[in-house]
Amino acid sequence: MAAAHDEAAAWSEEAARRVWGGAVPLQVHLHDADVTALPPPPPFLTLGPRIGYLPLLIPVIKAHFSNALPPGVDTVWFEYKGLPLKWYVPIGVLFDLLCADPERPWNLIVHFRGYPSEVLSPCEGEDSVKWSYMNSLKEATFIITGNSKSVMNLSQADQVALWESVMKGNLDGYKNVSTRLKLGTFEEDGLVRAASTECQRQQSSDEPESPGSGKPCRVPVRLYVRGVQEELEDIEDAMPVSDWENVSYINRPFEIRKVEGRSYTTLEHALQTLLPEFFRSEPQHAEELGSAAGDLDTTSSQEAEPAGASLREADIAKKAKVKLVRVQGIELGMDIPFLWVANNLKNPEYYLHICVYVGTRKQ
Amino acid sequence: MAAEADQKVVVHVRSTGDAPILKQSKFKISGRDKFLKVIEFLRRQLHQDTLFVYINSAFSPNPDELNFGIDGKLVVNYALSAAWG
Repeated sequence: MAAAHDEAAAWSEEAARRVWGGAVPLQVHLHDADVTALPPPPPFLTLGPRIGYLPLLIPVIKAHFSNALPPGVDTVWFEYKGLPLKWYVPIGVLFDLLCADPERPWNLIVHFRGYPSEVLSPCEGEDSVKWSYMNSLKEATFIITGNSKSVMNLSQADQVALWESVMKGNLDGYKNVSTRLKLGTFEEDGLVRAASTECQRQQSSDEPESPGSGKPCRVPVRLYVRGVQEELEDIEDAMPVSDWENVSYINRPFEIRKVEGRSYTTLEHALQTLLPEFFRSEPQHAEELGSAAGDLDTTSSQEAEPAGASLREADIAKKAKVKLVRVQGIELGMDIPFLWVANNLKNPEYYLHICVYVGTRKQ
Repeated sequence: MAAEADQKVVVHVRSTGDAPILKQSKFKISGRDKFLKVIEFLRRQLHQDTLFVYINSAFSPNPDELNFGIDGKLVVNYALSAAWG
């Protein structure tokens, strides 16, 4: 028993090393409009850590292009095939989501001017990324424990150490501080092992776990759902994402519930629970969708009237089929235990980022 | 693509520090709306451009995030200056 536990721990250690060591080879081109030198500078090649963030690469990229930049204040942002990249999404997730067919090196365009503030939230380099990371961590901690105290109670020095470990990809440093958050691992029978008495109780009754008896295990999940053509035979032929509106960015905690006769929760079950709209066969409430769409502050450029849009959305929901699930660059089978995925492939802010490609009927 | 369109979240707003208190402290919002909508609503109500908005006295989500409540409830604190780091 102890040996099996040791073996599992060794595997988790290995998985964490691989997640932390994972990187996307990037080839960064300077946007034509920002080039002020002849000949234009060659592209810059670098490795983008999967758990890292694009703005953290700015200092090295800027140094490379420094001779070709126009004078003035820089506001740096990145673009892939016309799509401005959200800076607070980890690099690995952007790659998994936007490159259906993993392109290596990944060709990005860096801009030093003309920040698209209508699409991207403002970013002031490392400080913004740190702020975003700490808030995500607090958010995840809140989902797991019901409050954010363990993060708020970290000393300033620990917070700095935690952030630096993430920024530098230093797994050992990260583990030193993150154990103080006391978030533990996600388990089928509640967050903490102490729930063993509850297991026995459950075996004697057929009732599923009643709320309030012990702590439920909640896993913080960020889902990125991208629609692709339904008749697509090869995922590599998917149309590139041209607008963030085509990606549903969904934060939803997944609550582990014990069900009689099931030894573990599969990824498929978790996704069915998290994204019922893509698994359910009956259409959504069309009116609800229509009114929600009408509420949005849309510009006059929107041509479709709300009623038509709602029908179409309901149709899409009905027709959608999950084509591909990708976490940390790995295409996952649907039978894999969800908790293994959550424990071993989560990002350092305790969120599990899942990219889902769903087929939608072409309009 | 719809995300649980039928789910409404009750938002409880609380002022923190020297921020003025709103008459209406609770309102409902669709689970499909982004958090940005809450921020914009508070900005309009308070006639303030700079506003710090927190959830559960703890963290600030990204404005792009959808509103989610635990058990359908979301506690939003707002302040005119940074309150929680």
